[in-house]
Amino acid sequence: MNKIILDNNIPVVFKINKNTPRYAMCFYFKIEEPEKKAGLYSILNRLFLQGTKKRSAQALAQELDENAIDCYSEMKQDFIRFKLQCLNEDFEKGVEILSDIIKNSTLEEFDKEVIKLKGEIQAEMDEPKSRALDGFYKNIYKNHPYGHTYTKILEDIDSITKDEVEKVYDNLLNNSAKVISVVGDFSESEVENLLKKYFSDVKNTTDAVSKIPVPELKENDLVKIAKDDASQAQIIQGWQVPTIYHKDYAAIMVMNTMLGSSGLSSRLFLELRDKKGLAYVVRSSYETYDKAAIFSVYIATEPKNIKTSLEGFKIELDKIKTVPVTEEELQSAKNNLIGKRQFFTETNLQQASLISFYEDKGLGADFEEKLIQMINKVTTDDITRVANEYIKDPFVLTVLAPQQYLNDV
Amino acid sequence: MENIIKREIKYPYLTRPVEIYERQNGHKVVLAHKEGGLVNISSWVKTGSINENDKNNGISHFLEHLMFKGTHKHKAGYFDRTLESKGAIVNAATWKDYTFYYVTLPQGPDGAYFKEAIELHADMMLDPVIPEDEIGPAFTLGDDSVSQKRERHVVIEEIRMRQDQPWTKIYNSTNYNMYTKHPYKRDVIGFPETIASISRETILDYYRTHYTPNNITTIVVGDFNHEEVLKKVCDEFDFKGRENYQNPQFELDKPVHEAKYIELKGKINTGFAITGWLGPVARDVKDNIGLEMLAVILGEGQSSRLYQNLIEKAKDPIFNVVATDFYNFRDGGNFFVQANFKADKKEEALSLIKSEMDKILNNDITQQEFLKAKKKLKVRFAEGAETVSDIAENIGYYMTVCNDLDLAENYLQDLENFTLEELNSAANKYLKLENSVTTVLLPEIDKE
Repeated sequence: MNKIILDNNIPVVFKINKNTPRYAMCFYFKIEEPEKKAGLYSILNRLFLQGTKKRSAQALAQELDENAIDCYSEMKQDFIRFKLQCLNEDFEKGVEILSDIIKNSTLEEFDKEVIKLKGEIQAEMDEPKSRALDGFYKNIYKNHPYGHTYTKILEDIDSITKDEVEKVYDNLLNNSAKVISVVGDFSESEVENLLKKYFSDVKNTTDAVSKIPVPELKENDLVKIAKDDASQAQIIQGWQVPTIYHKDYAAIMVMNTMLGSSGLSSRLFLELRDKKGLAYVVRSSYETYDKAAIFSVYIATEPKNIKTSLEGFKIELDKIKTVPVTEEELQSAKNNLIGKRQFFTETNLQQASLISFYEDKGLGADFEEKLIQMINKVTTDDITRVANEYIKDPFVLTVLAPQQYLNDV
Repeated sequence: MENIIKREIKYPYLTRPVEIYERQNGHKVVLAHKEGGLVNISSWVKTGSINENDKNNGISHFLEHLMFKGTHKHKAGYFDRTLESKGAIVNAATWKDYTFYYVTLPQGPDGAYFKEAIELHADMMLDPVIPEDEIGPAFTLGDDSVSQKRERHVVIEEIRMRQDQPWTKIYNSTNYNMYTKHPYKRDVIGFPETIASISRETILDYYRTHYTPNNITTIVVGDFNHEEVLKKVCDEFDFKGRENYQNPQFELDKPVHEAKYIELKGKINTGFAITGWLGPVARDVKDNIGLEMLAVILGEGQSSRLYQNLIEKAKDPIFNVVATDFYNFRDGGNFFVQANFKADKKEEALSLIKSEMDKILNNDITQQEFLKAKKKLKVRFAEGAETVSDIAENIGYYMTVCNDLDLAENYLQDLENFTLEELNSAANKYLKLENSVTTVLLPEIDKE
């Protein structure tokens, strides 16, 4: 891995993997300005593939598909990132198209994209799991941009104007911090020259400060969603916990692995699935954004099992707070976590994505190594401590089920 | 060492040939080289819903769950716990033609994890106990007094999960109605009633019948010493003279000769539709390439016809989603067009899809579209050679569904030689409207 800084201050991280047929590149734009209406960034994100000053939307789609160049943008809570993946011989073409998209998108298809987005959201909301997750995030991040879920977007979208999206685009292009990563089988100087050729006029604002506030959850919240023909209840319970920047990040990761994220051997899986037969899917997860993070537990179960499942969650959460974990279980969870990280960073694109994610967060592209050291240092006491410190009121509980089963929740 | 027949296959995008070993008992071992610290070990069994009937539908998948419930050497949980504590991903999957079990993990110090994974994987494949208390007692559906809920209930929850997914619902209906006799018509997961009542003995019988040496291919992908690993796999996979089983052949179904239409209702807000056609058998390379290309041209990506014509250029938007899919199966693949649309625009939606299909049948595919699809399939092959698990899955597909890896060796050349005329003829051979089955799912209108 090697890092250089382009003349315009954009940091570029390279990693060379010999004998790989495809290059992968990521280009991060940090979101520093919270969106005032839900959907502003989502619409902008969609418009990035809908035409530039040089290429119409159709021409763009055609050129990418004809060369089998995978190029798209993703909008997350704290950033918009472009991903580019193509056969080695097509890389310059890919970079040229990407630079065109980044610098010259016209946003002309605004009206159409608004309509398409609304339609896609409606289709998605017919999936019970998506509806339950929507209700969960919207409420655990109430009145905060992180809570701008699909249904919140539907509330705001008709008031969004093209002019507002243009301003967001302009701000992102000119006043945000940027990071590039490239992974594949190449010579650094060659790629460096390409990046200089196509991106030297993109301004990087390294001292921009995020104006996204820290979200606050003040009291417990119960969100009930009725769906009368649902065969399964969807249950999500979550807590706001420290982020990747906190000293307890690794400890929470290990706790999450142990409780419900190691695969077939986690506590929730063994107790609620294997022993009680309550579910096919039961798990916990830990997701961190810049200003907040969530630890949550999830189960999908026959509606009459709602109470038993919630009790099952409580028993397991109480247990990890009160009964010390064994050295053996701790070590297994650490090994699981560390070993699996190899699996999730096997392809060039996964690697490019991870190193630029860390670089963008200011943690350094080599944060992965530090993280593994941090994970190795977690003790059994740390697990008990973080469980007690962070899995406590307030929480948000979301239950989707037929109405008759919701009354007693 | 036993007498083993070895062959080599030049597999595109891998740096070394793939080695296929056939043992005297018929068990096949495939070794593939991929740089990096991870290894994947998997065993593919030539059974799935293809070997089921109305009475035992779902047994292949239920057995797959129960294979994780311990052996005579190791109790339930040992396999998962031991391997996951070494950073492994362990799981399995069941489909129409096959069931496969895999472990992906770091090799560990001096390959220790790798070695242990082969031992545990072989033990699980050859010596499952399937204990009664892990299956849980048989019960009548809807009986609330059941207290000991075990794996039967887990699988029933998996069925429930699928019942709540609109796409799965209409896929199953279309799939069922595309066939007359062939076992492919059944949903792999089966019905809650069967899972609630099927006996341990029936499951064990099914295991003994189908998990035979000639029905199993074990695949190892990673960076390792081939001689050592071959010996290890052969030592661990001791079938102890287990008898072989010859898979039955099934008569291929003819497609419906008059378009079939099914309409379902649900508590949803948008409309869903899937139209399906029967496709070529897996070993028919050309026709499979043809339908794969047609799927790309019609409905993959933003430049595809359906997306451009029905979403991008639509003046009055009707569709939210429209795409295609093509699945390869041993006895004949399936081609699908899937759509989500405004619930009150069903007629328009179906007629728009029909007119797009008509255009394809009138041979109007351009050279540009043709070349785009070729390139896409080439890149997809390269993509499938990027991770140890993807490589294993592709090899597993060829070995079980296509019966051999020879088709992979020539795939890129076959693709290169494929002509636009052949593409047009594939479209006309398989995708005629009268041979299609459509299921639509629409919102239920509440009657108050």
